[in-house]
Amino acid sequence: MKRIFTISGLVLLCFLFVNAAFAQDITVKGKVTDASTGETLIGVSVVLKGTTTGTQTDVNGAFVLNAPSNATIRFSYIGYATQEVAVNGQSNLDIRLQPSANELAQVVVVGYGTQRKLDVTGSVATVKGSDISKQSSTNAISALQGKVSGLQVTNSGSPGASPQVTIRGLGTIYGNTGVLYVVDGVWYSDISFLNPSDIDNISVLKDASSTSIYGLRAANGVILVTTKKGKKGTVTVNYDGYAGWQTVTNPVKMANATQYATLINELYNVNNTTPLLFSDPSKFGTGTDWYGQILRDAFKMNHNISINGGTDKSTYNFSLGYLDQDGLVKNNNYKRYTARFANDYTPIKNLKLGYVVGGLFSQSRDADGGIFHQLYGAAPVVPVYYADGSYGDPSDFNLGGGNNYNPQATLDFYNHNSKNYDFTGNAYAELKFLQHFTFKTTFGGEIGQAESTGYSPVYKATLAQQSTTSTLSIGRSDTRNWIAENTLTYDNTFGDHKVTVLAGQTAQRYKSYFINATALNVPNSSEGDHYLSLGDVAGRNVSDGGSLTTAVSYFGRVNYSFKDKYLLNASLRADAGSQFYGSHLWAYLPSVGAGWVISNEDFMKDQNFFSSLKLRGSWGKVGNAGVPINPTTLVVSQDPSYTAIFGADQTAHTGASVVSVVPPAILVERGVGTDIGLEGSVLNDQLSFEADFYNRTTENAIFAIPILASVGTASGTIIGNQANIRNRGFEFSATYRSHSSGDFNYSVGGNFTINNNKVTQVTSGKNPIYAGGNGIANGALATRTVVGEPIGEFYGYKVAGIFQNQSEITGSAQPNARPGDFKYQDMNGDNIIDGKDRVDLGNPNPKYTYGINTSFNYKNFDLLLDFQGVAGVSVYNANTAFRYGNENFTEDFFNNRWHGDGTSNTYPSAAVGSTANAAPNSFYVESGAYFRIRTAQLGYTLPTSILSKWKMQKVRLFANAENPLNVFKYKGFSPEVGGSPTNAGIDANVYPLSATYTFGVNVTF
Amino acid sequence: MKNRKTYLQRALGISLFVSLILSQSCKKSFLDVPPQATPPAITFWKTASDADKGVNAAYADMHEWTNVAFAPIALESMGSDEAEKGSSPDDASFMNDFDTFTATSTEGQISDFWAGKYKLINLCNQVIDNVPGISMDANLKARYIAEVKFIRAYAYFRLVRAFGDVPLRLHLPKDASEYNIPRTPKAEVWAAIEADLNDAAAVLPQSYDAANLGRITKGAALAMHAKVDMYQKKWTDVLALTNQVMTMGYSLVPNFEKEFREENENSSESVFEIQCAYVDGNSAASNSQYSQVQGVRGVTGGGWGFNVPTQALADAFEPGDPRREGTIIFRGTTTAEGDPIPAVGDNPMYNYKSYVPFSHYHSGYNEGCQQNIRVIRYAEVLLMNAEAANETGNAAQAIASLEQVRARARGGNNAILPKVTTTDQSALRLAIWHERQVELAMEFDRYFDVIRQGRGAEIFGPKGWKANKNEVWPIPQNEIDLSAGKLTQNPGY
Repeated sequence: MKRIFTISGLVLLCFLFVNAAFAQDITVKGKVTDASTGETLIGVSVVLKGTTTGTQTDVNGAFVLNAPSNATIRFSYIGYATQEVAVNGQSNLDIRLQPSANELAQVVVVGYGTQRKLDVTGSVATVKGSDISKQSSTNAISALQGKVSGLQVTNSGSPGASPQVTIRGLGTIYGNTGVLYVVDGVWYSDISFLNPSDIDNISVLKDASSTSIYGLRAANGVILVTTKKGKKGTVTVNYDGYAGWQTVTNPVKMANATQYATLINELYNVNNTTPLLFSDPSKFGTGTDWYGQILRDAFKMNHNISINGGTDKSTYNFSLGYLDQDGLVKNNNYKRYTARFANDYTPIKNLKLGYVVGGLFSQSRDADGGIFHQLYGAAPVVPVYYADGSYGDPSDFNLGGGNNYNPQATLDFYNHNSKNYDFTGNAYAELKFLQHFTFKTTFGGEIGQAESTGYSPVYKATLAQQSTTSTLSIGRSDTRNWIAENTLTYDNTFGDHKVTVLAGQTAQRYKSYFINATALNVPNSSEGDHYLSLGDVAGRNVSDGGSLTTAVSYFGRVNYSFKDKYLLNASLRADAGSQFYGSHLWAYLPSVGAGWVISNEDFMKDQNFFSSLKLRGSWGKVGNAGVPINPTTLVVSQDPSYTAIFGADQTAHTGASVVSVVPPAILVERGVGTDIGLEGSVLNDQLSFEADFYNRTTENAIFAIPILASVGTASGTIIGNQANIRNRGFEFSATYRSHSSGDFNYSVGGNFTINNNKVTQVTSGKNPIYAGGNGIANGALATRTVVGEPIGEFYGYKVAGIFQNQSEITGSAQPNARPGDFKYQDMNGDNIIDGKDRVDLGNPNPKYTYGINTSFNYKNFDLLLDFQGVAGVSVYNANTAFRYGNENFTEDFFNNRWHGDGTSNTYPSAAVGSTANAAPNSFYVESGAYFRIRTAQLGYTLPTSILSKWKMQKVRLFANAENPLNVFKYKGFSPEVGGSPTNAGIDANVYPLSATYTFGVNVTF
Repeated sequence: MKNRKTYLQRALGISLFVSLILSQSCKKSFLDVPPQATPPAITFWKTASDADKGVNAAYADMHEWTNVAFAPIALESMGSDEAEKGSSPDDASFMNDFDTFTATSTEGQISDFWAGKYKLINLCNQVIDNVPGISMDANLKARYIAEVKFIRAYAYFRLVRAFGDVPLRLHLPKDASEYNIPRTPKAEVWAAIEADLNDAAAVLPQSYDAANLGRITKGAALAMHAKVDMYQKKWTDVLALTNQVMTMGYSLVPNFEKEFREENENSSESVFEIQCAYVDGNSAASNSQYSQVQGVRGVTGGGWGFNVPTQALADAFEPGDPRREGTIIFRGTTTAEGDPIPAVGDNPMYNYKSYVPFSHYHSGYNEGCQQNIRVIRYAEVLLMNAEAANETGNAAQAIASLEQVRARARGGNNAILPKVTTTDQSALRLAIWHERQVELAMEFDRYFDVIRQGRGAEIFGPKGWKANKNEVWPIPQNEIDLSAGKLTQNPGY
């Protein structure tokens, strides 16, 4: 503590005399443009070499800098090659920067700072904000899909939902496997509050040496987001907007009414149920197309406006965003309003103060989450409405219990609205002193509130869809997070030696709270009635919960380079998280990295094949705080289900007890990563490439594993350090950019990742960890995690064929089977089919992910085509057998099913939902590989001649298509399934895949 | 210069602010965050209120899913000749594996049944190990412990009946080394059950005040003990225990069908009854699915239609026995409470004893969540008394006790259910067994009752029951795997 006080004091002292320390020289003016397009570049860093003195170009690309007449000025800009120009007494310098041709010359954002890509010894990928906002994704991270090697993005399809992101494979099992997002220095676990068009750039930190500086939160990788800041110059106004629609693509065709009735009759035959349900299936014709009835082409529009400007003393960027998106389900709608304001002051030389605040308000009219499964099961023989206008009722067709509803009634009587308020931001002060020191202090955080209101009325639609009481449900949840950080940086060059030293300290607090309440029979004449107190006194219900974690950290890093040839980086972070209080509190997480810039060696001078070439290697440790809170503290459970009933009037009596066991101690879950990379460019910087081999292990992974049920815990599990996991892989990316000065320019980039996920050790010894029960009947579990195999591998029986007749069954290993049932392979040959015959059926963790990103410019036209895909992955199609009774089937099932001796040896009979047939088996495991056109966009920029008349800087019109083409073999809706680690890839939610088509405009005044 | 001063002040302010945060964060208390919404266990088991809560949790857990719904249907009912799966053919068709004795050790219901009982045993052991240390009213403390000892005995009774030898946990595991314990020979488990019931009977009162109605009574402990002894063929003890219960003021409710309706909860016939209720605004507390899973399928307020009576049961009743219509809901009829049962439906018959009139259904709650579960009725005490008297050579008492049950069933109609008069021990035994079949039908008694009688092969043989195997179900495979082989499998599985 004392030391930090001393440092603070020092900061103040230095502050005084640094101001007086500068002499004035000549004034250099100039303009910076893009060498290939001639566009002016705004915000280019213009710095005197070997100092921290500098400025940025304004909105016209212009800069003014006082410099010694013999100085060298360095121009650097993200996405462009850095240029150094000797002043030589010139007072006017016009600079043309080459677009990020030389990868190594780029400036990239890294943890707690920026570095030239040349100096980076870890694996860091950068994406420009414009590459993200160009797409019609409402979530910035969705737009990263296919853009970065090693980054796997799984979009669930539901509007407003955040995608699942993994960097270099799945390294943890418990709970949140998400990456850490650092937005302008503030830490978040989700950035759906951020409007993609507010993003200036994104850095994806992939290897442990890059992420290690984020310590306990870095286990699953770190994504740094820098939002747009103000730029010096005259006021610029930008407007971006688009409108279009979203439409279901690659739908699964369900059986029509006649096919359905035929199948149900077959089901009755197999079950020996008489009489058959439908005397004449053909009389139903094609029946109701439930998907067509409930889904629609959904409208979507988005408007963003931003104002940017500033002076020498202060800059600002103010933006407003509005998104209005309909869901694919009728009535579903999402509106988002965002505002963001960034303001930076330079009150006196060497002192910078600033803040960024962002606000979000969203409101949505929600869709019933259960409706997709209802649509899948809904019987096509049931009409939407009868002739008299009343709802078609499955019970009138004797369809029995189970999942058989009229989805139209579900839609009509579902009334649920949500609102979100979210304020995020940070403030900072940065002081440069003694020429080489920078002290920065920041404070940031998030204040969020989510509200939901649901009203379920008194209604009678069908026998199974009715209620005699109405229910009002109100929910509130709060988020209050803050982070305070102080860093001190020392940056100096001694001849050929360049050194940067960073020391820092952080304190963080994360608190969340929710409360949900319901009351019965609240009137509903207007929203003004939506108060619990207007409902019945009896039957009110309240529940709440929350979480609180804190963390304290200290960290330091040294970057050293010699002659821009030899690089050495090392860091150490000490983290204490309240999760581990009372256990092993402090985690010390070190990293080292080294690099060799081969192209700067003398022996490379005479070759002109490689424009740049660097070999680098790194090693680091990270931790995972995404673990259960206080895992070693035994707690009391006062679950409402422990309420006892006593007395003649049956009154409720609160119960509570201890229903868990905890480990005596727990170690921090650590990730250890090694990375070896080669990067460079050839063909005069036109073709750049980067290749990485990585090995990433997770030690002491913390999660719950089953414990003997006789111990009597409620969860049946115990938390502990259970396993070691390894992800090993190879990444390659390359980009070709034409350097033509003509009318036609293009770039073609590709990236490719191979990842192998493997469990290398489990504490439970040989005992596998079974999971994956969602959408699977009879408590059967479809995944297994075991040493030597990937996390959550599908596990079950291997289908050898279909029993064609009784004689095949008699004497077989499945004597109770019926013709049309799966014939399972008797793996151990004991002539009994039981749990011992189960085998590995497929890996839900993709082995290959890839993306191809291209752009073409011809005169004023531009075309963007992005492709993306995964391969070497399996999906478990749980929908097929997730049946309670007479639900519908797919048309594919109808066409291929067994319905008599010799009709099929691959598909079972209509009794596919029986326990024997629904047991996890190879029939349900399908390839999850897909390839898609992720984005296709055609733009036209109005010629300058017209624009100058209109006094506008830029007008661009474009048409965009997202997911217009998807190629996959999977028989469900979408092979992009996701799910928690040991439950991943099990498709039981049936959310349809959609394509989005939009038309829009970008305008700059 | 003036400006500079302001900036200096600002910078100073920031520095101070930073230092404040630093000093804040360095405090140990900043990191010492208590568990949220789940108090640490070390703060519990300190007061009488904690003891009360702990006992309540054990009571409540008796009507949890694995203790009253699918798992008991699978293990305690499907094997019998009185019930079959019901519902739609493909819904939970694994139930059929219990009906046909093809269930294997990996069946989910087997592990659910096992886990449910041990979870209940843990809740009892929490009280038994922790409450003695609480300073509180000594009588109340003793009663609390006696109540949960009964509940623990009841859980072990169901375990030993279903699995034979089982791990016997009479205390909480002290540490991880006590998690994995082997199966205890069933004789020792039976002895532990009897010890618990003796302890309970010695302390528990014969009745409670109105506010505590529904708690375990001395009569319940004695009757449960009689049943436990009956399974061990300790006939003298059964006779003595039931004789004692018969002096405690119990009586049969005149109308058999009405005994199972809400108005007769905790009636004069009730010896041990699990208390369930519709708790306003608390669906988690209203979690009994006992009636829901067995309710009439396809009707709002009915249920899922599992565990339905078989034709064999319908045929087992003597001509005119009103208990047939009081035990079985027939498709196309109207219940005595006025609910019409659709003539078309998945199943021809449903369990009447678990039935709750459809109009009592509350949207958002389980159908029939308010139905108390009658575990031991006075009628069974009489039948145990009759059987024990017959086995110990006292035919007259056997006939008298049996007749009390038949007389109630008769309801004054002397044209039906003639008095059993035979004094031939084996004929009388069969008559008593038959009476148990029809009197206790659909009350989850029949399956193990027949096995206890030694007639498993005779009665269930035709549907696959085999002696020396099917007396017990397999030990859950998960549990054997987790024990790394310390637990052994039952023969034949």
